[in-house]
Amino acid sequence: MENHNERYVRHYALSDFGFEGQQKLLNAKVLVIGAGGLGCPVLQYLDASGIGTIGIVDHDVISLSNLQRQTLYSTDDVGKKKVEVAFQKLQQLNPEININIYPLELTSKNAWEIISDYEIIVDCTDNFSTRYLINDACVLLEKPLIFGAIYKYEGQVAVFNANPKIENRINYRHLFPNPPRPEEVQSCNEVGVLGVLPGIIGMMQANEVIKLITGLGEILDGKLLTFNMLNYEIFTVDISNENSVENLIPKNREAFELTDYNFLCGISSKNIEDLSPDDFIKKISDENTMTIDVREIGELPKSDFEHIQIPLSELKDKFSEIKNDNLILFCQSGKRSLKAAEILLEHFGNQKKISHLKGGITALQQRKNGKND
Amino acid sequence: MNIKIIAFGQIAEITGKELMLKAEDLDFLKRDLMKKFPELSDKKLAFAVNKKLVQNNVTFNENDVVALMPPYSGG
Repeated sequence: MENHNERYVRHYALSDFGFEGQQKLLNAKVLVIGAGGLGCPVLQYLDASGIGTIGIVDHDVISLSNLQRQTLYSTDDVGKKKVEVAFQKLQQLNPEININIYPLELTSKNAWEIISDYEIIVDCTDNFSTRYLINDACVLLEKPLIFGAIYKYEGQVAVFNANPKIENRINYRHLFPNPPRPEEVQSCNEVGVLGVLPGIIGMMQANEVIKLITGLGEILDGKLLTFNMLNYEIFTVDISNENSVENLIPKNREAFELTDYNFLCGISSKNIEDLSPDDFIKKISDENTMTIDVREIGELPKSDFEHIQIPLSELKDKFSEIKNDNLILFCQSGKRSLKAAEILLEHFGNQKKISHLKGGITALQQRKNGKND
Repeated sequence: MNIKIIAFGQIAEITGKELMLKAEDLDFLKRDLMKKFPELSDKKLAFAVNKKLVQNNVTFNENDVVALMPPYSGG
C-alpha cells in the first residue's frame, strides 16, 4: 500500500475504517478550545489518531491542582503555559501532524478569525460565557461543534450544527436559550470533580470528532447524552429546534464581535431598562407602547392609566397577546416586573424594547404623595 | 396521569433522583414542582418528555417520563 504508515496500521486493519478513514483524519483540521480536564484526553486521542492539523486555545498556566485530572501535564510543568506544554507532549506523541497553539483567552474579538481556520470545533471550556460565545460563532460560521461538560459525577456530550440541512441544525441555545446567571449554577471549582470523569467525557468527544470526520456510526447530532459514572447509566434526549433561537444569536460577524459574553453571563438585564416613576409616566403614552400590569388579578391599588393585565404566572402562555414593540412592565415593588422582563427578553430577544417601573406602584405612589405635600 | 420524574445534576440534589407525581400536562407539572421545591425557581433547567426535549406545553399520557436537565459547565 502506498504511503503506508506503520503508526496507523491498527486503523488500516479496522473494517469500515481502513486507509481511506485514516486519510480523512490526516486531512482534517480540528480546533480544541480549552486544554484542561476535557481538553487533555481530547488532544491526546486526536493527536494519536493522526488528525492532520490541531489547534489548541488556552490562556491558563498549569497548577498543581490540575494534575489530578489533566493528564498531559507533569509535576515539573506547574507554572508553565498549558498550550506550550501540550504542544511539546503532543509533538513527542505524534511528530507527523501540525499543531497550532493560541496562548490567549477566546473573546468575541478574536474568536471569528481563529474558528474560521478549522473544520470542526471541540468545546472543552469550563465556563458558560465562553460556551455561549463558541456556540454563537459556530452557528454563524456553520462549523460542527462537539460539546462536552461535566458536573460532579455526571457529564454531557452533544454534537451541534452538524446536520447537512440547515433547517435541521441544532445548537446549544435550543437546549438552554440564555446563559444562566451565576446564582443559578455552581462552578466546578466550588463543587469538585472526580479525575476520571473528564477523561471519559473527553474521550467521548474525541470519538464523536473521529466519527464525524470518517462517517462511521451515528454521531450525537442534535442529541444530548448524559453519562453517570457512578452507575454507568446513559440518558440520551433529542433536542428540538421547533422554537427559533435566531433572535438570541448575533446576526453577523460585526454584531458578534460587539457582544459582551461575560456580561451576558453575569446578569441578563443589560437590555432591560429601569424606569423611574417620572420616566414611567412620560413613556407609557409613547406610540406603539404596551404597558403591562404583571400583578395577579385583583391586586390593589388599581392603576388609573391605560394598561393591560397579564399576571406573571400566566405570562409564558400569553406571548401572542404582546404585539407592540415597546413594552413597559410594572408590579407592586418592581421585583416581579423585572422577572417578567427577563422572561420576555428570553422569548423575544432584541426584537422588542423592554423596560420596567423600578420600585413599582409603591414608588409611583410615593412620588404622587410627595407632590401633594 | 401518573408521571415519573428523573432529575440530573444539581436538580437531583433538590428533588431527589426520581419521584412520581400526578399531572395532566407539563405546565401543571412545572407549577407543582415549583410549589413542592421552591428552590427550583432559581435554577435553569430543560424539560424532556419521553426523551424528547420540549419547549412548549405538552399533554401527558399515563406513565410518561419527564427528565429535568440542568446545564453543566465544568470542563
